Amino acid sequence: MIVCTVDRRQRLEFTPRESVFFHLRSGCLRAVLFALMWWILTDGAMDSWLVGTPVILFATVVSVVLLPPSSWSFLGVVQFVPFFLWRSLYGGVDVARRALHPRLPISPGLFDHRWRLPPGLPRVFMANIVSLLPGTLSAELGANCLQVHVLDERKNFLSELEKVEQRVAAMFDISLPPSRGGE
Amino acid sequence: MQTLYFTLALFLLLNLVAGMWRVLRGPTAADRMLAAQLFGTTSVAVLLLLAQATDKAALRDVALVFALLAAVTAIAFVRRAWSDRETKRDAE
Amino acid sequence: MPSDLLSTVLLIAGGIFFLAGTLGLLRFPDVYTRLHALTKADNVGLGLVVAGLALQAESLATAGKLLLIWLLVLLAGASVAHLVAATARQRGIKLWKQ
Repeated sequence: MIVCTVDRRQRLEFTPRESVFFHLRSGCLRAVLFALMWWILTDGAMDSWLVGTPVILFATVVSVVLLPPSSWSFLGVVQFVPFFLWRSLYGGVDVARRALHPRLPISPGLFDHRWRLPPGLPRVFMANIVSLLPGTLSAELGANCLQVHVLDERKNFLSELEKVEQRVAAMFDISLPPSRGGE
Repeated sequence: MQTLYFTLALFLLLNLVAGMWRVLRGPTAADRMLAAQLFGTTSVAVLLLLAQATDKAALRDVALVFALLAAVTAIAFVRRAWSDRETKRDAE
Repeated sequence: MPSDLLSTVLLIAGGIFFLAGTLGLLRFPDVYTRLHALTKADNVGLGLVVAGLALQAESLATAGKLLLIWLLVLLAGASVAHLVAATARQRGIKLWKQ
């Protein structure tokens, strides 16, 4: 597990051997995930593994080719899960409260969040997460910013979104440029 | 527990019917798209409850397929079925 | 049985969230706010129903399948919400303002 402590900047400049090792490592991990999924889908039937093993191997090869492995941090993922579960539950409670309230307390608006995450998977992931968090809905995934529709524009969404961005960055093992503050 | 499963499944079905009112009424094409979202979650919940209540594990697989299909149909819907004629009307 | 009681509470709570989602769908003034209600409330509702059913599941694989279904719906719901909102913006559907 020494690999996990390697400095990220070093890991970005792969020498070919490191790259092969990196692909192999994430391939193994994906194979384990696919095996787990197969076990779930077949309700743990033993005789299904005859078909399952080649399917899992094939799926692993295809997934590594189509979606090349990116850096991620185990600790970041572990910390993200409870954060997300708690915030999305709160999101549901918040919107349910507004929908059930006799006077319907909403004042919608739009909010631009300037990206600090790099383009690609991290941004798409965050755009999806934002729609499930309290009071926010990602409306447009722009090149420079994420346009968010908010249910209550009186609230401060800047710090909230920056917190989410920080968490997502930690998951993908990315260090963000410093925040530009209130923009 | 059996009674609870059936009652809740029926309740969710009624929810679905109530939601359909919005879907049918619109007023914009986007509102009709919400049908995909509504069906995606509610029908999956109903199927899972029925799977547990009637002890039919296969219904869980149906729910799984529904969950997969909900995403695909919705995306196809938004990309293809949203015609320009409706757009002009919506923007007014 | 304590797990039965917990399941009952989770299932009923899930039903309440579904109801809130539908009410939001009917009461909220424009497509964006309706998306908020539907996406968030229904996903939490399904999550609670799944949690309640997982406690009653006869095997670990079944509980895993329930979790897998929830994650799938979560992913689909979030993507569809974004897609509908983005397309509505592009097509010029106006925001409701107070």
